[in-house]
Amino acid sequence: MAKPDSLGQFEQLVLTAILALREDAYGVTIHSKVQELARPKAVSLGAVYVTLDRLEDKGLVASWMSDPTPERGGRAKRCYRLEALGERALQESAVTAKRIWDVIAEVWGKEWAKEWGKRWGKEAG
Amino acid sequence: MNSGPSKTAEAIIAVFVPPACREEVLGDLHERYSSSGQYGLDALRTIPLVIISRIRRTADPQVLLIQAFALYASFLGAAWLKDGAFLSEQWGLLRLALPAAVAILGLTLEDTYAKPGRRSPLNLARGPMLGLGLALASQGMFRISNPDLAVPSWIMFYGCAISLLLSSAVRMLFPPATDQLQGANVPAHWLKQSGGSLGNPETSSRVVKGVAAIVAVVIVGTWMANRAALPKPRVVTLLLVLLLVLLIAYQVWKRG
Repeated sequence: MAKPDSLGQFEQLVLTAILALREDAYGVTIHSKVQELARPKAVSLGAVYVTLDRLEDKGLVASWMSDPTPERGGRAKRCYRLEALGERALQESAVTAKRIWDVIAEVWGKEWAKEWGKRWGKEAG
Repeated sequence: MNSGPSKTAEAIIAVFVPPACREEVLGDLHERYSSSGQYGLDALRTIPLVIISRIRRTADPQVLLIQAFALYASFLGAAWLKDGAFLSEQWGLLRLALPAAVAILGLTLEDTYAKPGRRSPLNLARGPMLGLGLALASQGMFRISNPDLAVPSWIMFYGCAISLLLSSAVRMLFPPATDQLQGANVPAHWLKQSGGSLGNPETSSRVVKGVAAIVAVVIVGTWMANRAALPKPRVVTLLLVLLLVLLIAYQVWKRG
């Protein structure tokens, strides 16, 4: 099996958004999800398109056109799904992030980790 | 209730979005519509990145480099044939690079805005014609605003004629990526897997940087050897032709 390239932070966000959205992953919904994940940073729709194109070129995601819908002015959506290579790349990124988190929690203390965990939980809620 | 953007606004924005991704981009912008101002701002912030991404997908750096050499060699050859004295004028060699650079921009834009999968023999010449048309227009503007940068008309006309032939021949040898795409927006990844024109981007980038470095070293070296005199046109032309042949041979070998 081909070894996936290491992912940049924004690529990780976009792949996570596609994973979370499942069948409903297209430009607008992916942008909303990425914006939610990247808070408080603002994310432009154009940046999401550029990253989706790059991920597709790398073979990490695949796309197809859906049927046109009236709320889009009768235009079709380009929907995305994760490819096996994309899933593997995201898993590797998640494992690395977990290792980073463990080291930080170990050095800065479990209280700090708990406090930040709560703060993030509140923000997400 | 927000009914959506006006037809006129959508039509104007549609002109700037490359056809390969027009459907989904216009649909997404329509779905996000809340007011005319928001729609315009959204489009302004999105479309430049969409164009850049499309250029990245359709442009092959090595073929662009070959085209740049072919175009510059054409104008250099035309200058040599029609007005040898022009080449010894101050910045003569650099002035010849301006129409070549504008033509490359035109070629790139033509590929970016080409409709994927539409095959026609005209496609081979359409890009060079657009590029050279832009080069002629830019020379007209130089003549009005800054005549020192303009290239003499006869050199331009002969250069354009030679360029049209050479550039179309290069496009025949290495067709644009959009001509190879069968679907609406086939990923470049698939083309790479099937031995398409885009090649490995890392290798392409290394080759382009290597060739650029060789050209820079030779030009600077010749300039230093001649003590502040620009390299002789014959040396530059021979160097360009040699590099052009080497690049074409490498590309042909790589594509089997």
